[in-house]
Amino acid sequence: MFRRFSETPLRLPSFLPRLAGPDEAPIFGWNAERDDVIATTSRRVVDAHRKTRATMEQALAEAAFHEAKRLESQHDDEAAARLGYFRGILRRIAKMSATELEHELESLTTTMAGDVAGNFDPRVYEFARHVAPRLVTAVMRPSKLPSALLASDGTSVLRSMLTIEGSVPLLRRLERHATLVYVPTHSSNLDSVVLGQALVVSDLAPVMYGAGKNLFTNPIMSFFMHNLGAYRVDRRVRTNLYKDVLKTYARETIRRGYNGLFFPGGTRSRSNLIESKLKLGLAGAAVEAFAERRVARDHRPILFVPTTINYALVLEAETLVADWLVEEGKSRYIIEDDEFSRVDRWVEFFRKLVGLRAACVIRFGQPLDPFGNDVDDVGQSIGPGGRIIDPGSYVTTRGVPTLDSARDAAYTRELGDRLAGIYPRETVVMPTQLVAHVLYRRLVHETLGLDLFARMRLRNEIRVRHDELARDLGETRDRLAALVQRGEVHATDDVLHARPSVLVEHALEVWNGYHRRVAARGEGMDVVIDDPTLLLYYQNRLVPFAHKLATEPYQRAAANIANLANVGGRK
Amino acid sequence: MSPAIGVLGGGEFGRAIARTAARNGHDVILVSRALAPGSLDAIHISRDAAPLADVDLVFVCVPSHVIGLAADELAEHVDGRHRLVHVSRGLVGDSLATMTSVLRDRTSARRVGVLAGPLVAESLERGAPGGAVVGSRFPEVARDVRDALAGDSLRVYDTDDVAGVELASACVGVISLALGCARTLELGPGGLATIATRGMNEAARLGDAFGASRASFGGLAGMGDLIAVVAGDRRPDLRVGELLAKGKTAKQALDEVATNVESLGLVGRLSAYGRHVNVPTPIFDAIASVVAGTVDPALAMRNLMGRNVGREG
Repeated sequence: MFRRFSETPLRLPSFLPRLAGPDEAPIFGWNAERDDVIATTSRRVVDAHRKTRATMEQALAEAAFHEAKRLESQHDDEAAARLGYFRGILRRIAKMSATELEHELESLTTTMAGDVAGNFDPRVYEFARHVAPRLVTAVMRPSKLPSALLASDGTSVLRSMLTIEGSVPLLRRLERHATLVYVPTHSSNLDSVVLGQALVVSDLAPVMYGAGKNLFTNPIMSFFMHNLGAYRVDRRVRTNLYKDVLKTYARETIRRGYNGLFFPGGTRSRSNLIESKLKLGLAGAAVEAFAERRVARDHRPILFVPTTINYALVLEAETLVADWLVEEGKSRYIIEDDEFSRVDRWVEFFRKLVGLRAACVIRFGQPLDPFGNDVDDVGQSIGPGGRIIDPGSYVTTRGVPTLDSARDAAYTRELGDRLAGIYPRETVVMPTQLVAHVLYRRLVHETLGLDLFARMRLRNEIRVRHDELARDLGETRDRLAALVQRGEVHATDDVLHARPSVLVEHALEVWNGYHRRVAARGEGMDVVIDDPTLLLYYQNRLVPFAHKLATEPYQRAAANIANLANVGGRK
Repeated sequence: MSPAIGVLGGGEFGRAIARTAARNGHDVILVSRALAPGSLDAIHISRDAAPLADVDLVFVCVPSHVIGLAADELAEHVDGRHRLVHVSRGLVGDSLATMTSVLRDRTSARRVGVLAGPLVAESLERGAPGGAVVGSRFPEVARDVRDALAGDSLRVYDTDDVAGVELASACVGVISLALGCARTLELGPGGLATIATRGMNEAARLGDAFGASRASFGGLAGMGDLIAVVAGDRRPDLRVGELLAKGKTAKQALDEVATNVESLGLVGRLSAYGRHVNVPTPIFDAIASVVAGTVDPALAMRNLMGRNVGREG
């Protein structure tokens, strides 16, 4: 019952569809266009399969077969409602005429698109914008409530937790005439919520984004996600028809000018390594949307915004790193029982964060066109040497804009490579990550003969004198500062300027009290490595810089750490 | 009407590609500062790259040590519509940057590729039977190259393993140096076969670190090209290997063959890369020492053949 309630989109009553005002982002008028987008999505998917009777039959049979198989093993309300429908299709399909097949495909894709399509209610947006931050303040830090109520935006506590860096003024200018597609790193299921809040605080338009259906199990989250532009992606549905619907829906929304958010890594980084092999998935729809616009002589730019989300503390760290280490990443692609699904863990997590300055840093990188070129202040593409180039030239054949899915898939791969090169530069090193790196490097240094998994079992066995750790940390920080100076990475002010011993104390305090285990703890004059897996998780963000951060005695340990990028694949 | 084709570089290979494309009915613009206008029938020769702005497909036929300059010159005239395909067997700098990555990074073109395989200028020009492979992520690049060059006797395959094709092709040159040495030192058919096979195995292992597919090393860019070397396609790398075995220095050998030999500058960098990524490359290391003049070729071959070895893999 509870699950059914949380999975069914709950909307506030509405009598007249609202249109977007002249100064508003298109998403404010989304609900007036929603039904048309669903119908267009369905029509375009059906058109793509309508070549012959055989292509329609194949698409429908594949969808019905896989859905029936999935529902047979589910034994839930959804199975009771839909299993008969798919079995019926399988029974009748051989006798269906071409018209019946087309009708059935249209009906099924319309249902799928309707299930995927999100909602955007400006009233919920205003509530989330003005009331929710005060509620967070009231729950997390009641003493700050009076000042939060007086503050014009009521976001004082959230603001202290969330720092936003990068090209915000440029994005504000660009979003007036360009469609922005945010492509962030992905560490936590909180990412879309945090990024949504960052857009509010930065006065940037809200975005549409795909969220796994499993995230809609939390009723409060479900309500807000349903009504703030999230569309639902059911990863249990493996049929090609559903994938076509998803991709077409995403492409259609971008083509129409709705800003989007896609996680190019696909799923959360289990290891906390910066994503380096990006498939982009649905983000590829934006490249196709660009080609469609050009074919239709629509010259509005579509721009990608590389974004990094950097946490001092990650809500699901323990589950994710355990998953990475046991190499169950693939089989547990959808994790339904992690910290994100537990309200008590949320409360603990936010309580811990409230005490921190800059608990999360969002950094917006320089926007790119779909072909990886930088853009200027008005969104024009810039080629090597600063020459203004026409991005439309990338989708032409013999001088004419064309649609070519193989070509656009290749551009998407190129864009993935480009983003993978940008992410390390836009990463913001947090105090917990730097301290974890120095401690973990020390652990590796003292256990060079061991493999990763043997090392993970060394609980409470390695201790470092506090002053020695502070000295190592100071030297490493100096090297990090040089990298920051050269534009190879970013770091918080605390990382760059606080005394090393303060950084150590800060990290120990952050780790203590939220995770069930402690990464490291102080004991007299020493720091003891308690849980190497958590240490590994937090330090992994610095793997690309391991060599450059290490002084000579730690070079072998650094080489070992650099190899972590290859352990068990990226995740 | 067949679309116009551009060729940058008027060396032997550039001229062969220009003539082949012209024979296939394309208008061809060849950019070369060395060739006089009108010196090649049916081919428009230009001293600067500006006319390339009007073509879609450009073959980049320059050696790896000038690819940066060539790319910068191209950058002023090409945009997203252009397809750039290089034919070099080189890699750039100590990081072994591929030529396609240089073209992509320094021009606005994204639809880039590499043409490789058992192609030599003279056979290409006279339409001798043969095969080649185009490495590109963009299927249309392979289609355009086929349209420009393929004929009754030239089969042009394609793959999206661009890095694999470029590395395999570059390594064939280095293995050819080793084969030239071995032949002069009379290692015999068994010795040559061992060096060819194990050399390609080293290349494939380096390919793993490069993110390349092993299939490319067994394909036309790798084994196919190497078989052409052994079959006697008069590859300059083989001749340089022979001269090194006869006691000439690398510079003397290069002067004698009087052409660009990518593998001479590459072998030391490949050997160093192998050490960096912890991939054993004994044949490449031995030839690097011979080229550097630090080890006598006969000793290098004796050491290679006398190594303790284990499972093949």
